[in-house]
Parts: sequence; C-alpha cells; structure tokens
Amino acid sequence: MRPTRAFRWVVLGLLGLYVLIPVAASVQFSLEAGYKGRLSLSAYSQALAEAGLGTSLLTSVKVAAGAAAITLVLLVPTVIFVNLRFPRWRAVLDAVSLLPLGVPAVVIVLGVLGAYKSLPSIITGTPVILALVYVILAMPYSYRAIDAGVRSIDMHTLVDAGRSMGAGWAKLFSRVLLPSLRSGILAAAFLTVALSLGEYAIASIMGFTTFPVWLVGVEGNNPYVAVALSISALAFTWLLLVVLALAGSGRRKRGTGFGAGLVGPEVEEEISPSLAAEEEAVA
Amino acid sequence: MSDAPTTRVNNAGRGARRRRRPWALIGVVPFFAYVVIFLVVPAAAVMVEAFRANNGAISLSNISTVLSSAQPWLHSYATSLELSAISAILAAILGLVGTVALVSSPSPMVRRLVTTGCGVLANTGGVPLAFAFIATIGNAGIVTHLLADLGFNPYYHGFSLYSFTGLVIVYLYFLLPLVILLMLPPVEALRHEWREAAATLGASSRYYWQKVGFPVLTPPFIATLMVLFMDAFAAYATAQALTTGSVPLVPIEIGSLLAGNVVTNQANLGDALGLGMILIVGAAGALYVFVQRKTARWLR
Repeated sequence: MRPTRAFRWVVLGLLGLYVLIPVAASVQFSLEAGYKGRLSLSAYSQALAEAGLGTSLLTSVKVAAGAAAITLVLLVPTVIFVNLRFPRWRAVLDAVSLLPLGVPAVVIVLGVLGAYKSLPSIITGTPVILALVYVILAMPYSYRAIDAGVRSIDMHTLVDAGRSMGAGWAKLFSRVLLPSLRSGILAAAFLTVALSLGEYAIASIMGFTTFPVWLVGVEGNNPYVAVALSISALAFTWLLLVVLALAGSGRRKRGTGFGAGLVGPEVEEEISPSLAAEEEAVA
Repeated sequence: MSDAPTTRVNNAGRGARRRRRPWALIGVVPFFAYVVIFLVVPAAAVMVEAFRANNGAISLSNISTVLSSAQPWLHSYATSLELSAISAILAAILGLVGTVALVSSPSPMVRRLVTTGCGVLANTGGVPLAFAFIATIGNAGIVTHLLADLGFNPYYHGFSLYSFTGLVIVYLYFLLPLVILLMLPPVEALRHEWREAAATLGASSRYYWQKVGFPVLTPPFIATLMVLFMDAFAAYATAQALTTGSVPLVPIEIGSLLAGNVVTNQANLGDALGLGMILIVGAAGALYVFVQRKTARWLR
C-alpha cells in the first residue's frame, strides 16, 4: 500500500499551487493596479508616498526591537542559570513558557486593560505596553530557541574551563557563553521580531497605529497599495525566517536551529527524542 | 572566593553531589515575575471580572447575558467553534495526505524544502495574508477574473471570500503547513521494521494498519487537531481584515466591545466572553497535553 509516484507528485503539486497562487496573484494584482495587462510599479511608488507609512513602520520597528531586547535580557540569563544550577526546574520553566499558547491574544488585551488601567499612562498609554506583551506572545517560541541553544553546548565544561583559568562570571558570560549561544539567541530575536511586526489584534484593539493596523486602513482607500505593501511585508518576514532556517540547518543537533523555535514545542520534542532522553538521564 | 555560594559552579547535571540552597532560586524570579505580571494576572483578572457586575459586586449577570438566547453571544460561540472545528478537521485530513506523500518521497532535497517552507508558512498569517487572498479570489481578484473570463464567476454562484467559507480557505493556508510539521515525525516513526515484522508474522496490510498503523497515529493526529483548533479559535487579524465583523466570531466581538464600537452598559461583558474562550482553549489544551504524553512513548 505504498503511495505511488503519481499520487505523491499530484498531492505535493496541489499543495505547492495552493501556496504559490496567492503569492503570484498578489504580485500581479499590485503590478496591474486595476489595468488589466499593463504592468507598472505605480502601486509601489504610491505606497511609498502614502501618509503614515513611515510613522507606522517606525512604531512597529521600535516595538519589535524592544520586544526582542526584553526577550533576550529576560530569557538568556534565566535559561543559562537554570541549566547550570537547577536542571530539575527545566521542565517547570518549559511548561510555563508554553502557557501563552493557552491564552488567546484578545484575552490578554482584556486582562491587561482591566488589571492595569490604573498604571501610569507612560506604560499602558504608549506602544511600550505592546513590546511588553509581545514578549509573552513570542515566549513559547523564543524560549525554545534559547533553550535548544543552551542544551546544544556543553555548558558545564565551558564554565569549568573558563573558571579554572580565572575568568569571572561577567567575562564568562560575555566571552564564552554568549558567543557560543549565538545561533539560539539570533533565532529567539528573529522569531520575536517576526511576530511583533505582524501582530494585529492587540495593537488595533489598544488603538496603536502599528504597520498592520495602518495597512488595514489603507486597504479601504486603495487596495492595490495595500496588496503591494502586504506582499512586501510577507516577503520580508519570509526572508527573515528563511535566513533563520538556513542559519540553523548547519548545526549538529536537529533541535537547535530552525525547527526548534519556529515550529513550536510539540514538534521540537518530537523531532529530537534524543534531547528528551538526555533530559531524563539528567533528571 | 570559591566558597562563596553564588560563584560556585554546580555540577548537578553530572550527578555530582550538591547542597540545596533554595534561596539561590532567586535567579528565576525575574522570569516568573514577568509571566505573572503580563500573563497570569491579566488572565486571572478576566476570570474574576467576568463574575462582577458594573458596580463591582459579585454577580452572575455577565455570564447569564452571554448564555441568554435573546443575545447574539451564543451564536458567536457557535460560529467560532464551527469555523475552528471545520478548518482544523479539513486541514488535518488534507495535511495528513500531504505528509504521507512527503514521507514517501525518497529525495531529501524535496523533504527539506517542504519542511523549511512549512516552518515559514505556519508563521504566516494576519493582515498581509488576508490581503493576498483578496488579490487572489476577492471580488476583483486575479483568479476571480480568470474564472470569470472562462465563464464561471464564483461570485455569481454563491461564493464569497468575505464569508465563513472564505475564512476556512484562508485559515488552511497557515494550518496545512502546521499539520505537515506536526505529523511528519509520527508518520516517519511508523517504522519499516514494524511493517516487516507484521508481514513476517503473517499479518495482512489491512491487519497491520488496524493493529499498528492507526493506533500509533491516532494520538498525534488528535494532538494536531487540538493545536489547529486552538490556533483557528484564537485567530483575530485574518478574520477582521477579511470580514470586518460580518462573520460573528468571539474574538472579534470582544475586540469591538473593547474598542467601544458596540454601545453597551456592561463593561465586564467582554470579560465573560473572554472567560468562555479561556475555558474552550483550556479544554483543547488539556486534551492536547493528555494525548501528547501517549505519543511521546512511541517516538522514543
């Protein structure tokens, strides 16, 4: 009952078409801009001249950078610390990092608005709150990326070696641990940035004009410009994620790179049973 | 210096004997504090506020409003549940067929290309995706025009992208790759040796699937269904950008309550709606965790 060649190519071909047709159609739609058969870049040049593009993009970029920075400052030391000193707590942190998957974004907005309405408006009244919340939304993925990175290096040996040569913790951290965790850190940052740049629900409900929120407003007036910008945004995110995939694919352990953070917890556990077994041996 | 507890290197991971220093756990405090502040407290606030009337008194009034058949909210839940269930089941079945096709491919190149692509696509969604589909099969879309030129304009035959059906089509775009990513390991884990062992022992192909194939694949399949369901149930951006509220979904209703688009004298009604979402997603998540434990055994 092995699938035949024909079956395989028909199925994979249909899936491929389903993925590619909307992309191709968007490109054509934006290039034609309503004039059938006449291609031009006018939708793209109009997009650049559209009022609000710069400010909304800037807001999104700031929020994304902020979320990535907070993610790294919060998670990298925590994961290193737990792996070095309390390996038993790894399972707990792992489970906690998955919690955001169980709380829909809309509910988080409800709760943040309800619980913190009395906070100074410097936090809840500015896009700062978006960065703070996006850290949570991205955590199931960013945590996994960093954790996989930490597990892929022999941290105990590195630390022992560094300390026996007289390095202090600060030096160990900056000269030994951070460089060897580069790819995990990069993956976590990329994933957080990709998520932050695309997030719409929370930003629109809280009334912040990030790029996706602004884009929805544009669509009503000029769908061609909106599609031109959408396809550019998709291309940018895909580029970001593909770079991440390629950067991760050269690694020795499979759970380390791309699959680790991007795919999410369930998959990582499944594709790297060796890591899970290792964890058991440790615990 | 080496005696200072904070600087001692602990080789716990290698089984070295270590002394317990509970206070050293202070290192994980920032992490837990952050999660409490930005996730636990907001979620708890929603659950508590759902049981409060506008004057702050404990009351079931919001809950009974949500459950009242005179109100539109139950209908929203039904629509949301239906949309997520149909999208999840369709995606899971089509995705499983795709996974089986992919696993049968001998070329590692094809496999790598597809899994990388799936990883990227599963993270695609939101506003740009909705607009890409508007450009494709919206009422002025490229494919719509193409079909109309061929004499079949889908919009004259009851189809609309800005509807329930349209949402299912768009959701499949990010759900299908997710299925392939999630089902690839268990489908690959159906080892040839098992097949051969069964055949050696005289089992027919059908008997093999009945006794080995399906039992092994069922738990990961259910787990995948739950992930897809949760993903679709919580989705907001795509639906909002495509239908601007014409398909009543719970997240959209909560959004408009919060944004003040709906005149209401019940500020906590949104919390009651949110509580329902937490319960539904929580149930799906619990089932996922339960099934996942069973799966893990087979994959080791």
